[in-house]
Amino acid sequence: MAASVRKRRTVRWRRLSQLLFAALFIFLFIKTDYNGHDQLRWAVNILFRLDPFLGLSTLLAGKAVISLMLPSALLLVLSLVFGRFFCGWVCPLGALFDISHRLFGTREKTHAGGRRLKYGLLVFLLSASFFGLPLAGFIDPFSLLVRGLTFAVYPAFDEATRSFFTLTYRHGPGWLNAVTEPVYSFMKASVLPFADKVYSLSILSLLLLLVIVGLSFVERRFFCRRLCPLGALLAVCARFAPLRLAGGGEDCGACGHCRKICRMGAIDENREIAVSECILCLDCLDGCPRGLISYGLAKGKRTREIDLSRRAVVGSLAAGMLTPLVLPTRPLSRHADPLVIRPPGALAEKEFLGRCVRCGECMKVCIGNALQATWLEAGFEGMFSPRVMPRIGYCEYNCTLCGQVCPSGAIRRLARKEKQATVIGRAVFDKNRCLPYAKATPCIVCEEHCPTPDKAIKFREVDVPTDAGGSVRLRQPYVVDKLCIGCGICENKCPLSGRAAVWVTSEGESRNPDIYGGAGGYG
Amino acid sequence: MDRRRFLKDVLLWSAGLTLTIPRFSIIPDVLAAEKPEPLLVKGTGEDYAALVTKVLAPLGGLGRFVRRGDRVVVKPNIGWDRSPELGATTHPLVVKALVQQALAAGAARVLVFDRTCNEERRCYVNSGIEKAVTEINDSRAVIEHPDPRKFVPVDIARGRSLSKWEIYRDAVDCDCYINVPIAKDHGLARLTLGLKNTMGVLGGNRGYLHRNLGQNLADLATVVRSKLTVIDATRILLRNGPQGGDIDDVKRLDTLIVSADPVAADAYATTLFGLPPDAIDSTTAAYRLGLGEMDLSRIRVVSV
Repeated sequence: MAASVRKRRTVRWRRLSQLLFAALFIFLFIKTDYNGHDQLRWAVNILFRLDPFLGLSTLLAGKAVISLMLPSALLLVLSLVFGRFFCGWVCPLGALFDISHRLFGTREKTHAGGRRLKYGLLVFLLSASFFGLPLAGFIDPFSLLVRGLTFAVYPAFDEATRSFFTLTYRHGPGWLNAVTEPVYSFMKASVLPFADKVYSLSILSLLLLLVIVGLSFVERRFFCRRLCPLGALLAVCARFAPLRLAGGGEDCGACGHCRKICRMGAIDENREIAVSECILCLDCLDGCPRGLISYGLAKGKRTREIDLSRRAVVGSLAAGMLTPLVLPTRPLSRHADPLVIRPPGALAEKEFLGRCVRCGECMKVCIGNALQATWLEAGFEGMFSPRVMPRIGYCEYNCTLCGQVCPSGAIRRLARKEKQATVIGRAVFDKNRCLPYAKATPCIVCEEHCPTPDKAIKFREVDVPTDAGGSVRLRQPYVVDKLCIGCGICENKCPLSGRAAVWVTSEGESRNPDIYGGAGGYG
Repeated sequence: MDRRRFLKDVLLWSAGLTLTIPRFSIIPDVLAAEKPEPLLVKGTGEDYAALVTKVLAPLGGLGRFVRRGDRVVVKPNIGWDRSPELGATTHPLVVKALVQQALAAGAARVLVFDRTCNEERRCYVNSGIEKAVTEINDSRAVIEHPDPRKFVPVDIARGRSLSKWEIYRDAVDCDCYINVPIAKDHGLARLTLGLKNTMGVLGGNRGYLHRNLGQNLADLATVVRSKLTVIDATRILLRNGPQGGDIDDVKRLDTLIVSADPVAADAYATTLFGLPPDAIDSTTAAYRLGLGEMDLSRIRVVSV
């Protein structure tokens, strides 16, 4: 009796760890925002920099060691010693699965199969990265989580909260507001985003997150068992871990309880624990009625190898090698979409996409809500990568935050002066819409907002004939190319409804000095 | 409550929501009754706190405008993400001194805000104004970012170009509104002074106002009534305004211009740039609406 009480406590340590890391994750997530200083102290990017799957993928894609991603080697080494502790004790997505599992009830069946897929996926994604098709960020667990939270969950939470407090503010009696307003102020200062933001691909990102959470309905930790490429990589390391859970076996009581409660389906008919599938949740350690299972040095005997055949490895490698061959068949390889404006500091396109892990942090931190997730405009492999959409938000002249949070250096960290000299595109006027040209009406809001100290938008005073037959003196704006950096504030603030009369294209961007916009053109 | 009842209630509630957003209308006659005296003080000095006291003295001190228990708004220009020496935003020490004097005069609350053009937080920080107000360390001195819930539609009965606009509640519903613009260059308006500074209390698509800027600003001045205009000309921005960014475009004058007459303040400040008062459309339009004096010969200028 005393023994079972002691046992039940072991799992608490794991839960506590999950809780602490989840709290740390949420803290870092909220702190990934302007804090009143030009330099950020905290950002959730540390999580991505610890991710060896993304580390390897960016290393293979960029064919260079990325110092920012070096911390991820630490996780590999720890996993080589302790096994897949990360999945069970640290991973915030894993914690989300474990918590949300309560929603789905215990409709448990043990499926042993299907684990192979994640290894195949891992090999395919790494190989594809190396050969020029970077897709790792699509399915990386943190990328999925942070994108879903940034694009959909957090803004929806903000919207719901603001709507509620707007209702109480406008219609509630004074005594109610005496309670609700301080609560709202407190929430604004602590958990709510400073301003409401919108995100492209918000619904898609939310659905992806919901799907992987919902898959727990099929079996517990479905994603971790079958899909997670990071889990697969850690599993490969865990295979060599000297420290592991063991104890059951052919000669134990054969009650099969451990097998029934294992959330990873890691225990076979003979009560042997597959070390590469075990995430050290310790349920079996607590649950074994005879208390046979313990964590410690493996006693000589090697457990099963991981579920990956040579054929599957070769097949995945080949698939990753061959798939990128179709990329040059697209018109995109001759003519990039000129409306895809990359953030300041972004590397040249191919390198940029190779390094970008699609974590969405730059979009989370973007102070102007300018950075939005790309759909197919930059090709399939460009999906979820950041682009500036000036009509939604502009790139703030003095701000350098996106380069500070990028975990892989796809967006370089720029000093303020450097950033202000980085051309991300150039503005062009649509004289058919611009008021002083098309409607003989004064405006030049664009000129007012143009942030370069020597304004890139200037105006000429011109006498323009009016419909009534007279003439009117107007100030007509124009762009000085060598001063324009493409921040997009002109497009953003253009007071026309609908399409702006001035917009930014990527022409002339610093990372791609060819004035005709790169490959093809008039070559 | 059954489901049908619940849905009905929800519909009723949400319909009520759209109908009952409060609206302000300000009776024009009441406003027109108080025609300010065209007395203007111009002062120069390097200690801005002392300068504020010095220029207010001939007007009878801030106590003549702020009474005990008043809810005061001090409205500087915090429009841009620029530091004070670049002359794009009101000098923080001027704002600080005014807030302190309003507190000393017994104000119940002094609110400082601006609806910025660049990102709000960056502007508040970089302009130094947020720090200046919080440094006063008095719970009655409040600097806040405009709360979107507090923009209310206001009827502009005397407007010739505008009949209604969304205005920040505190700007129209306060006891004393003190306008503290910085004098600077502006592409469309030529200069931005007191009347243009009112745009910082507006909601909606402000760029729309540029189509008839002078008259629109004058119309707005009929509902956003400054009891006092303090034009910060400690630094004036001569070119590339209203945002600036190049120290070579800034001229340091260490000057403040104060008047209860918003039109007189703008008219006189225009001369700092070597321009006549009628070079600024909003000054002329406001004069025509009877909001103040623009004839320099009729403005009594006291230099201190």
